Amino acid sequence: MTAPLAAFLLAAFVLPLIRLVPAAVAPPADAVAQHGAGVGGSFARAFLGPGVEPFRNSLVISAGVSVIAVLLCLPAAWMLARHRFRLQGLLRTVLALPLTFSGVIVGFLGILVLGRLGLVPALLRLLTGEPLLAGSAYTLGGLVAAYVYFEVPRAVLTLEAALRRLPPELDRAAATLGAGAVQRLVRIHLPLVWPALVSTFAVAFAASMGSFGVALILARRFTVVPLEIYTEFTGFLDTGYASALCLGLAAVTLAANGLLRALTKNGDWIYG
Amino acid sequence: MRLDRTSWILPLAVIAVIAVIAAACGGGESRPAADASAAAPAGEGVVVQYDCIPNYANWGGVTALYERTTGVRVPPDMKGSSAAMAALEAERDHPQADCAYYSGAIGFEAARRGLHQAYRPAGWDSIPDALKDPDGLWWTVHTAAVALVVNTAALGDVPAPTSWDDLLDPRYEGLVAYDDPTWGGTAYTFVFGVNELMGGSAADFEPGLAYLEKLDANAHSYPRESVYNDVLRGEIPIWINADGNGYKMRWVDGGPVEVVIPREGTVSMPLVMGMAAGAPRPEAAKAYLDWLLTPAAQSEFAQAYFRPVIPGAMPAEIEERFLPATDYERVVHLDLAEMAGASDTLKRAWLERIRRGGGG
Repeated sequence: MTAPLAAFLLAAFVLPLIRLVPAAVAPPADAVAQHGAGVGGSFARAFLGPGVEPFRNSLVISAGVSVIAVLLCLPAAWMLARHRFRLQGLLRTVLALPLTFSGVIVGFLGILVLGRLGLVPALLRLLTGEPLLAGSAYTLGGLVAAYVYFEVPRAVLTLEAALRRLPPELDRAAATLGAGAVQRLVRIHLPLVWPALVSTFAVAFAASMGSFGVALILARRFTVVPLEIYTEFTGFLDTGYASALCLGLAAVTLAANGLLRALTKNGDWIYG
Repeated sequence: MRLDRTSWILPLAVIAVIAVIAAACGGGESRPAADASAAAPAGEGVVVQYDCIPNYANWGGVTALYERTTGVRVPPDMKGSSAAMAALEAERDHPQADCAYYSGAIGFEAARRGLHQAYRPAGWDSIPDALKDPDGLWWTVHTAAVALVVNTAALGDVPAPTSWDDLLDPRYEGLVAYDDPTWGGTAYTFVFGVNELMGGSAADFEPGLAYLEKLDANAHSYPRESVYNDVLRGEIPIWINADGNGYKMRWVDGGPVEVVIPREGTVSMPLVMGMAAGAPRPEAAKAYLDWLLTPAAQSEFAQAYFRPVIPGAMPAEIEERFLPATDYERVVHLDLAEMAGASDTLKRAWLERIRRGGGG
């Protein structure tokens, strides 16, 4: 059943990317006049010039946010995958809810919770008399928090699916053979869970790299690649530079995913 | 795994259709913001206007009135001026929009780039010469002035600022917002205009940028989305934006909002329209553009406290809610050609020095 998927990827992913190449190679006349960068100049700007900072920011925030999301979601995913309890369905639904929000909505939510008049500062004012954290939505910390919120459902669902596939017999067999909790964690659980953690990280990382709405609404100084693409395209009509950034973003994200896949030595786990 | 031959024909067909549509729409170039064209059928019962934000200049009320009067629908479109021009540029070979609305300089620039076709709507002669292109590539539909829109309840005991200089007072720390000028035309008008007010010129941005750097210490944020409701509920206490948005907050939405024309003066902002080159529904578009200059449409804009461009269309009860005429004597008019010419350089400088320049 790979033919339809291949055709879809070709139409929706490969062809659009290819279409970006001519624009990126030969920038529009206005951009050439302004930046003195002819053929290939857009790539130079994207990878050696002003594009370096957004790429670095995107990589750092996506990696950081994905690590936080994986660690935060591991206990919940473990619970959902390995135990049966009341309200399990409800918990899963609540955890998956943010999946239905676009990044822009998450950004607005960030303002409602951590804005100048946010819910959290209002509560803290009741408790301490000071509106602590007021306006923190617009800081780097607030941006990270919103990104994490954005990644939580993806991380939980991916992790849960992966953890479900762990054979519980191994654990029981090890326990029967006298392995203690720590020994089982180190010798059984971690080696088994490791690929799931990496694959979840990979999914969260890719989603964060491409996420645009959260930063659009909340980032005050911080810039990430998708935001840079938006600004260059809408603010300056520089399709060349914007296209070069797009291609770079796709390349970096694909490379990172490939690297992670190689790291787990078992491609099955990716998107598991 | 063996394939059931029929099982993948349907998905393949769907994909082929998607691919054809994508190719017809211009393939790889995606439009950044919510857009009206996707929702609009190709029939003559629709006119597509880029930048048709319902709670800006009462576009919601104006388009609703048009639909009631003629049955023709003009769907909302949330692109700001710059995004509207970018979309027209991206769709140059396959135009989707019939017309667009902009802050003056951006409309001027869109016309310069050949994104408009000449059209002189009915009522043309009533528009003052300075507010239209002689060939009809753009014309003004209403005007506003850049002002301080102040939510006095959000300020609490702190008095409202009365001047640009006041805004730099540390007591307004974290309370002042103006839109990102790379996103919106109103903000670009402010950034260009404040430079002139501070003694700069189109050849020297330093006085304006130096002022904005100082103002950055009091910045709440530089929004890239409509924050009208954030101002109304006090999340943003001071918004540098069109005076009309402030009057509307106060008189239509009943918000605790005051409009301040700063003591040092401010700049006017013509809001212009143009008919898109290659408009897919030209006759419907012309009828709509004609109608926008009728007294009925013009006084509907006035409901959002944007000044009609056609003399005499301002209802008296709206006029008296504006600040007194003496305040408006401090309004300076800008040269749209200069403003459009400076656009990329000034926006780039703003990004470097203000958005990325400050700490925190």
